[in-house]
This record gives sequence, C-alpha cells and structure tokens, in this order.
Amino acid sequence: MSKTGLQREQRKFTFLLLAPGLLTIIIFTSIPALTTLSYAFFHWKGFQRGSFAGFENFHRLFSFPFKDQFLMALRHNLLVFVGIFTLQTAAGILIAYSLYRMIKGQRFFRTVTFLPVIFSLVIVGYMWQALLDPFYGPVNNILHSIGLDSLARTWLGSTSTALPTLVFINLWRWVGFPAIIFLSGFNAINQEYLEAARIDGASEGQIFRKVMFPLLAPSMTIVAILTFIGAFEWFDLPYVLGGSSGGPAGATDTLALMFYRLSFGSVDSGANEIGIGSALGVLIFSIVGVGAAFGSKYLRSREVDV
Amino acid sequence: MRKTQRRGRGLVAAILAASAIAVPVMAAIPAHAATELSFWSWRPEDKVFYEAQAADFLAATGIAVKFTPYVATEYNATLATALTAGKGPDVMQIRAYGGMANLSDAGNFLPLTSKLVPALAKIPAGTLAGAQGYTDKHQFGLPYATSVLGVMYNPALLKKAGIKALPTTWDSFLGVLSRVKSAGIMPLGNGTGYAPGLEQLWGAVGPAFYGGTAFYKDVVAGNRTFTDKNFVASLQAVKDLVAYMPAGAEGLDYNTARGLFANEKAAFYIGGNYEISYFRSLNPSLSVGWIPAPSASAGSPRYVTNWADGAFAINAKTTHKTEALKFLNFLASKDFNQAAADQLGWIPTVSGIKVTDPAVIAMQRAIPTLGTPFLSLVGFRYGTPTSSSIMQPGFQKVAAGTKTSADLAKDIQAGVASWYKPLTGKA
Repeated sequence: MSKTGLQREQRKFTFLLLAPGLLTIIIFTSIPALTTLSYAFFHWKGFQRGSFAGFENFHRLFSFPFKDQFLMALRHNLLVFVGIFTLQTAAGILIAYSLYRMIKGQRFFRTVTFLPVIFSLVIVGYMWQALLDPFYGPVNNILHSIGLDSLARTWLGSTSTALPTLVFINLWRWVGFPAIIFLSGFNAINQEYLEAARIDGASEGQIFRKVMFPLLAPSMTIVAILTFIGAFEWFDLPYVLGGSSGGPAGATDTLALMFYRLSFGSVDSGANEIGIGSALGVLIFSIVGVGAAFGSKYLRSREVDV
Repeated sequence: MRKTQRRGRGLVAAILAASAIAVPVMAAIPAHAATELSFWSWRPEDKVFYEAQAADFLAATGIAVKFTPYVATEYNATLATALTAGKGPDVMQIRAYGGMANLSDAGNFLPLTSKLVPALAKIPAGTLAGAQGYTDKHQFGLPYATSVLGVMYNPALLKKAGIKALPTTWDSFLGVLSRVKSAGIMPLGNGTGYAPGLEQLWGAVGPAFYGGTAFYKDVVAGNRTFTDKNFVASLQAVKDLVAYMPAGAEGLDYNTARGLFANEKAAFYIGGNYEISYFRSLNPSLSVGWIPAPSASAGSPRYVTNWADGAFAINAKTTHKTEALKFLNFLASKDFNQAAADQLGWIPTVSGIKVTDPAVIAMQRAIPTLGTPFLSLVGFRYGTPTSSSIMQPGFQKVAAGTKTSADLAKDIQAGVASWYKPLTGKA
C-alpha cells in the first residue's frame, strides 16, 4: 500500500472512531443549540410558534422585569464561580497535598474524600435541607445547645445566607473532584525537581510554593474551566433547595433557573415564554462558550511559561 | 447444528427478557380491564382518595385508571413538556384561568360541550370561565372546585389566649394577634418562605383594602392601575402580618407552615379551603374555625376571595377518547363530588353536593354575599410577566424589608402593562 493510501486508510479509521462521538455531539448538542437559536427569533404563545420576531425577544430580555432578574442571576452566577473556585481550589489543594504526603491510608481517605461526589444530588440537597431546617435541624439545635444561639440562622430561608449556604453545600459535595485532579497533578511532578530543591536547601513550604504549586498549572486549568462552566450552568442544587424561582426572593436565582422558568413557566405564577427563554439560552451559551475558550487559552499559555 | 442450538438459546433468552418486562407491566393492569387511562395531578396528597375512586370506576365500567401525581411546583412544566412531545396523559388535572391557557390555545385539550359532559350545563358561567381558552374561548376543562380564601383559626387556642370575640376589622385582627402572642401562643402559622403562599395570603386579606370586585373591574378595564393607593395598602397589609409570623418565618416552607396550624401550635392560618384536607391528614381531630378576612376599617365591606380552582381535561390526542369521556363524566358525578367534598374539603362546582365540614360550610355560605375574584389569578395570568410572577418574590422582599409596598405596586403595574393593553402607558 502506498503512503498516501495508508494515510487515507488511517484517516478513514480515525473518522470511524470519531463518528459515534461526533454524531452524539451533533444530535444532542449542536442541533438543539441551533434550534434554540432559531426559537429566539420568533414570537411564541406557550409552545406554539408564531411570527418572526427579529431581536424583540432579546430586547424584552433586557427590559423590565426580565432585565433585573437577568442581572441579579448573572451576579449570582459570578459570585458562585468566585466562591466555588476560591474555596474548592483552596480546599482541594489542601486535601490533595495531605493525601500526597500521607504514607498510610491514602486509598481510604481518597475514597472518603471522593464519596460525596457520587451521591445523588437530590439526596444531598434534601439531606442538607433537613440538617439546616431552622426549627428541627441539628445544625441550629447544636448551636443552641452550646450557647451559640446568635449564630443560629434560617440558613436556606434568609436572603443573606441562602446563596453562601448553597456554595458551602456545593463545596461539601464537589471538593473531592478537584482534590483528585490536584492529587494526580502532584503525583505527576518529577521527583528530581523536588530533590534538587531540597539539595539547594529549600524548606517544604518553599518547595510547595515555588516548585509544586506552579507545576500544578495544568490541573488548575482543568479545575478553573470546569468550575466556570459548572458555575454558569448551575441549576440542580439551587433548584432542589430553592425551587425554580430561586427562593427566597430570588436570592439563589441563577441564569439556568431563569431559563427554565421562562421556557417552561412556573407554577402559581403562570405562563411560559419560550422566545425570551431561548434568547437567554443563547446568551448563556455565549457566556459559557466565550468565557471557557478565552479562559482555557489564557491558562494554557501560562502552562507553557512554566 | 451448534449454530441452530445457539440461535434457539438466543430466542429463549429473548423471550424470557421480553417476558421480564411485559409481565410486570401486564400484571399492573387488572385482568378484566380492557383499557387503562393515565390520569395526572399535582396533588400527591390526594393519591389515596383518587385510587379509591379509580377502584369504584373500574368496578362500574371495567376501565382502569392509573393516578400519577407530580410535585405541585413542577407540574406545569412536566405536563407542558409531555403534551408538547405528544406523550401526555389521557386525563389530567389542569390549572384554572391563565395557568394553562397557552396549552389550551395550542390545541392540547379536547374541546368539551354539555353534550359530551352534561354537568357543564349546570355550572355557572363565571366558574366555567376558569377553564376556557383565552383566545378561542373553548371550554377545555371541567372546573371541579371553587376555592375560597379566608382566615382559619383554632377555637381552643383562642380560648386559651382569652379571646372571646372574633375580629371583624383589620385593627381588631392585629389586636387579637397581639394578645395571642402575649399569651405565649404563636399567633399566625403562615411564613414567607413559600412565595405562592404569600400571594394567597394577600388574596385573602387584600380585597378589603383595594375594594374587592369594584377595583377588579376597574383595573381589568384599565380605569385604575396597580399603583392606586388602596392597592398599595393591600400589599402593605401582608407586611403588617409579618410581625405575627413564627420566628424564622423567612425559612418556613409551605408544609411546615401548615403543620404549625395543623399541630395546634399556631392560632390562625390564612389560606384556602384546600388546606383543610392537609390539616386533617396531620391531625384528624383538629377543630377548624373560619372567618372572612377582616374589613379595612369599621363599617367598610368584607370580601371572600373565590375562584374556580383547577379543572379536569382530556388530552386531545388520547387514543381512548370514549373511555376518557366516561371517566370525565364520572368525575362530574354527584357520587364522586360528594366524596371529594367529604374527604378533600372541596366546594364542588357540581350542584346538589352537601358539604359537611363546618368550616367549609361557612366558606360556601359566604360566597354569594361576599365573593370577589382572585384578582391576580383570575385576571392577570394570561401574559408574561404575570402579576403573580412579580408579586410572589416581591412579597418576600417586602416582608424582608428590602422593598416597599409602593415599589412592588410600581413593579406589578410596569410588568402587567407590558402585555396587557388596557394598562399600557399608564403608571
């Protein structure tokens, strides 16, 4: 077989291997995304498509009352990203480093750390709802019993504590994931670098800060990008604990919840609006797509510098 | 030979696998039932009742009915998605007025006539309007119950607090709540954590402030707006009650709030007759008293908010139209509605039903003289944003002190005016 013929065969085989994945992406991602894009340019009456609307749905999305809801939800998504990224990264690195330095029982503690990640989110949500119940929950009961009454709160019911509480629950559930990624990052570090640093007289703290931490950049890129995407598509936990309205009083509302409400309507408050919902869907898609692409490019360039 | 044996074993395995799936499915349908209708609802708490009724219906007709309830807050989305995908149930419970008018306008429900469902002919026009298309005015459902809002109280707790006369005006109501609180009893079970509950609370006490039906007609005609000072006062009334709610009211969900009244912790609960079945499920011996919401001031009128709360509809695409109509007529029958009145605390739309619960009797008697429409639900759920979608989170902000009643009124006006022509351009 000639070289060109071999290359052609290899290309065919590569395409064959890629085909199932590509087809899945086209059917379940590309087509729905393009359909949503088209929906955003039509008038809708419930689930019935009407006439061409041009940019009217986008205009309405940026008019009262949707504009306020959009800005509030966007702010919450940003806060969630900052909160989750900061806390989960810090806790993840700390746990990963502890596991990395652990001589005995690493496998056991690695499993324990990762365990909440595999729990059903609905179960996690309801479990925390019960724990944080302002009247019967053990968290407040413990605070009362040890004389810290002033710290007892309606954790999920107060507009000031609901979002931070959700971020904490998210941290509890997900911290095992970045921890495992960082642990694999630590394990991938060439021991010669560390030994060279030790011979040069560097302390363990200096080795961590000046050698190991910069070499974690590839792991950091993965965690940052996945956290960004997750934060801007955050739906499940706020939905389970605050409902589709992002209660209380919209304090846990996110762009994904707003999209759900607009597209499918909310009980006891009425009609759905697929056109505006689709316009919002397009915006979320753009924010996540553009943000992830630029973030990924920037973070990967830093990896090269290291 | 070996190939044939393998093929044979494969065939046996396939038959066994198919049987494993088919047998349980078939076993779920009674042997003598030729058809099984699917029936969806947003009332999981009524499952036992509907299943008992389905058994009666099966015995009478040979048609099985599978009752499937969904979480109330997600029912609209679940039903809308299923109907749009062509996979909806044969018969379903549907929201009244604008709640599902979009689905009706999209032709998802079988248009009903009094020829198909004779009971429709005896239901008052105002009640029938609860299940009519917004644009085509087709009757798309059988309204099954009238809901009534008001103030429920626990006579024993009021006696314990030394309350001898029930309040008739707003000031006397606040006074009673204060005295109950001073007696160490929780005055009001309602909380602010469940936003739709706040709209219902306002629906009960608000009309006395904005002027009931007269204001409803004026605002629907566009002659008055939501920024009217009386309407603002109706929103403020909700804020006035926050002081008498349980500590941590902002985190109180619907069932916990109702549980406080049902378990005789709270002396009052402001809500609808549909709460009673839940109260009784928690505490069968609970004694419930009921009064219309107090008047705004001495001598001014009291109102009792009522509306057609939900309907039964048939999927336009059902393959069991005849059986579904039989079931709908069963749901319109006196036997079914009498059972619903007795067991669920309904005030049925079907005539000739005897209500037995003393609280529900009081509600039913108040409707002809004090009745007024639920303004936000009946009038302004036909466009986006609905008045309810602004009100519900808005009330939570008003309760928390982060928004004023006047600002909430402005938001409602601006939101509704964006799609409701008679109010467009008015502040």
